[in-house]
Amino acid sequence: MEEGKFNRLQMIAIVIMRVLIGWHFLYEGIGKLMKGNWSASGYLMQSKGLFAPIFHWMADTPGVLSVVDQMNIWGLIAVGLGLIMGCFTTIAAVAGMGLILLYYVCNPLFVGYYYSIPLEGNYLIVNKNLVELGALIVVAVTKSGWYVGIDRIIHKLGLFKKKK
Amino acid sequence: MNDEKKDTSKETAGKKTENKLDRRDFLQGLATAPVLGIFGYALAKEIGYQNAQKAAYEATKEVDPNLPELNVALIGYGGQGEVLLNAMLNIPKLRFRAVCDIWTEYSLRRVVNLLSRYDFEVNGYEDYREMLDTEKDLDAVVIASPDFWHARHTIDCLQAGLNVYCEKEMSNNLEDARQMVLTARETGKLLQIGHQRRSHPRYIHSYEKIIKEADMLGRIVTVNGQWNRSVQEDLTWSDRYAIPNSRLQKYGYGSMQQFRNWRWYKGLGGGPIVDLGSHQLDIYNWFLESRPKSLIASGSTDYYPKETHEWYDTVMVVLEYETERGPAKAYYQTQTTNGSLGYFENFMGIDGTLVISESEAANSGSVYRQPTATPWDEWVQKGYITAPKMQTISAESDALLDVRETMSPDEHEIPIVLRDPYHQPHLENFFNAIRGLEELNCPAEIGYETAVTVLKVNEAIEAGRRLTYNPGEFEV
Repeated sequence: MEEGKFNRLQMIAIVIMRVLIGWHFLYEGIGKLMKGNWSASGYLMQSKGLFAPIFHWMADTPGVLSVVDQMNIWGLIAVGLGLIMGCFTTIAAVAGMGLILLYYVCNPLFVGYYYSIPLEGNYLIVNKNLVELGALIVVAVTKSGWYVGIDRIIHKLGLFKKKK
Repeated sequence: MNDEKKDTSKETAGKKTENKLDRRDFLQGLATAPVLGIFGYALAKEIGYQNAQKAAYEATKEVDPNLPELNVALIGYGGQGEVLLNAMLNIPKLRFRAVCDIWTEYSLRRVVNLLSRYDFEVNGYEDYREMLDTEKDLDAVVIASPDFWHARHTIDCLQAGLNVYCEKEMSNNLEDARQMVLTARETGKLLQIGHQRRSHPRYIHSYEKIIKEADMLGRIVTVNGQWNRSVQEDLTWSDRYAIPNSRLQKYGYGSMQQFRNWRWYKGLGGGPIVDLGSHQLDIYNWFLESRPKSLIASGSTDYYPKETHEWYDTVMVVLEYETERGPAKAYYQTQTTNGSLGYFENFMGIDGTLVISESEAANSGSVYRQPTATPWDEWVQKGYITAPKMQTISAESDALLDVRETMSPDEHEIPIVLRDPYHQPHLENFFNAIRGLEELNCPAEIGYETAVTVLKVNEAIEAGRRLTYNPGEFEV
């Protein structure tokens, strides 16, 4: 990013957006953790579209399913913490995009597909997941963690700096 | 922030700076940490709320190891006796000493065998009087004989110094029921009538919290309830185990058919309105805090053969109340040819609706807020009811609300589940009352009020017109 491209207000706005998304991810993860017996199997079983066979296979294979469940829960929590704290912000944002993309691909909102669990709004192809994904693209490319976030400290201390 | 900081901040955004960490970097680096604090606080609140809901849901029970053991006898091991005994076997500190059933060839043998397996030394009796003469250290007796035997069994047991749990209906005639109340008073012994919903935690919660404390329903103007059952074959017996005619006659039965199916015979039982309706009309009186003024009823045996089904297989009744808050009408139906929608009671107030039943499977317990009523957030937070279920509109339905309709209200569940057998809390209440730990939830006087309410339904059907209750009729 070029120096001086964002003024302070714009940077703060991005940080606020980043923290809100992080909160959402964190609680999605903790909420599933608290349920104790949560599993993605229901969601995966509902899968439709091009990749449905893969998701159905995941749901039907117990070993795979438990790995998927754990990765999903802890992935959500890690992404949430990363976004809130601005720690490895870019990695967190990209990982978050990956998760959302998986959710979307699993149950795409293409015309003619009706997901059997009722949704709380009206969508045509674009749903809130995709909007959140778009917001994460902004987070991923703006390095807001270098402004407010642990990344700033990491950067200043020169940790993880590539050796030349 | 001062100006100096403002200047540096512009440079900092995304800029590669020197490897020097100053105070400002540190603060800005951790600036979002308080968000985690707020998150933690909100999470703790949420967990606390969920735990409160769970605790209310599970209603933990403690058993005091110092409770005195009670010596118990059972009279009548038919279908209902079996249900009660199964519940009692879950209750600690009970010692079964004697059982009595006139079907010595079958029921008595079964129950003695069952209790022996649980290491109880029980004596079996055909005649309850012999039992009372022989067993001298009994504390309590549980009576599950046919209705027309209740009064004699209860009165003799009370006079023998026993505390009595007697199944409903208290009696098949009011004069006998009255004598039962009087004998309980004279002897000072406890007499609990088996309207077991009176001890059901969900019913107690609904009455005390939802209706009384929170007044979620507002004034209740109408009530609706039912117990519908599918067609059932008559109960049968094997000739190998048939009771000799002389013994049947001694105990008031004309035949084995009558002995097995006494609930359908006049003079022995009261029919479905008494067997089933009695439980639910009892709740009407309880929740309305009132007793009916009058009633209109229709009933007849429409499906089964009238010779074997003297009492009505189909009954519909409207009870008219004058509650403290104003008049109320309560409909009830029981029919035995189709099990549609099972059984429930539905209290409809101006602010909300309560649908409740003893079942954990269907109509367990929900309240619905009228759109015009004050919000119920406080009661949701207190855990009295759950948060409303999300309303879903089916994709196929394009129907728009008509001006004559109001939106369907949100459904809140009552977070109380009974995992024990239905009759267990009521029996526990009885045994704890003997130990002086609790008051009876359904003493003889309440059972009597319900008997007056219910037996008049059959009377009104026969009369074929509206009958009124005399207010003094409910008192003994």
